Amino acid sequence: MLKVAVFWGCCIQSNQYAYEMSLRETFPHLGVELVDLNEAICCGDPVKSVNDFAADFLAIRVLALADQTGLENLLVPCNRCHFTISEARETMRNPKIAGKIEELLREEGLEYNPGIRVWHTIDMLHDLVGLEKLKKALKRPLKDVKVASHVGCQIIRYSDLGRVDDAENPQKLDDLIRALGAETVEYAEKLDCCGAALTRSHPDSALSLAGSKLKAVQALKVGGMVVSCPDCQLMFDAKQKNAGTTVGAKLSVPVVYYTQLLGLALGIDQDKLGLNLNQSPVDQLLSKISA
Amino acid sequence: MGVTDLMSMAKPNLESRNKILSRLRGKELVNCFQCLKCTSGCTALKLLELKPHEIVKLVNLGFVDELPSSDIIWTCVTCLKCVQRCPQKASPYHLIIALRNQAVEKEAKVPETYMKIVSSILETGLAETPQKIVTRKMETVDRECLKLPKVRPPKESFQACFMKAMEGKKC
Repeated sequence: MLKVAVFWGCCIQSNQYAYEMSLRETFPHLGVELVDLNEAICCGDPVKSVNDFAADFLAIRVLALADQTGLENLLVPCNRCHFTISEARETMRNPKIAGKIEELLREEGLEYNPGIRVWHTIDMLHDLVGLEKLKKALKRPLKDVKVASHVGCQIIRYSDLGRVDDAENPQKLDDLIRALGAETVEYAEKLDCCGAALTRSHPDSALSLAGSKLKAVQALKVGGMVVSCPDCQLMFDAKQKNAGTTVGAKLSVPVVYYTQLLGLALGIDQDKLGLNLNQSPVDQLLSKISA
Repeated sequence: MGVTDLMSMAKPNLESRNKILSRLRGKELVNCFQCLKCTSGCTALKLLELKPHEIVKLVNLGFVDELPSSDIIWTCVTCLKCVQRCPQKASPYHLIIALRNQAVEKEAKVPETYMKIVSSILETGLAETPQKIVTRKMETVDRECLKLPKVRPPKESFQACFMKAMEGKKC
């Protein structure tokens, strides 16, 4: 078993329980044991717009908490948290800012360790676990299932920071879906954003962005959409009905987390994967899989 | 510089321009040659008419003062495409974040949600706290009945340190 520290972030721990459940269920099957941090705090993402120094402080504090576990790898399953933490690490190259942040950490007896490796669900599965090991662990590979992937924005941009996948042609999530036995499609709107960040200032426009993308995916006539970010899932799944109203479309697109799909292929019960929590019509997809 | 913004009759303010540029350490805003790659790929262009190249140009010319109080800086979706695609590393996204920070400092109009989130982090450490949610069959569930572990709040010293961080600035 490879022990890996995990930082969940606010969105997953406050309402996107299906992501947390499916990660906790599936990773041990692949030889990865998740170790929670001692404290749950915000990664700093929403604070960036208010005070970017305070945001960097929060992100580096997360890494200091991860350091307490003594583990070499940290899993950050949320795209926004992953970006905020990655960018804060880059900021720590500036000795003036690093000095200030380290001083604040010392007041709490914490220490920043730049050595810890930060992963997202997608690259941890693709690059650390590996496709071969994943395929070998499957008990019920998927058959006759075709889906559209949505990787989201912040784990693939911007490349100078070192991201999870290629910024303009991300393929790792597609590779992972195909490893389960399912098919994926390439589509023009693949890189379109879910709009979640606009919820704080322009909620209707946020819904409209989610709606436009869902409309495009619906037109592909595939079995559903697979995501790997709690914000994207919130927009495409929980808010699908409202998003449809905003763009004048009747939407019926099953939206699932990659880890839920993985769990099904590993033979794990639907309830343990939080599949009763998805608000989009996932039953359409589930009946195809269990058929 | 003999330039005047004919829309607002504003004159350039080089001091404000330099203030913003100093926040953007390493982001070479001045090198922007208005190729419009940022705006042509901007997620918020179609819906909210955000034109990142215009914001960069305004700042480069010194027309900075009106930006922090303009709603336009709050239309960015933070999809980061402009950072990725800029051939000159001018990074409109980072400029927009710097202008948002300035809006907060100047007590200009800031969407309420942002300030609510900051108070929530101060109180609980989290931007959002665990909620009860409903299943597809309309049953109400929480972390406990889903057998998820309790969320561990930060230790007491966190609040004071976060306050200090909020008082601090990057430069």
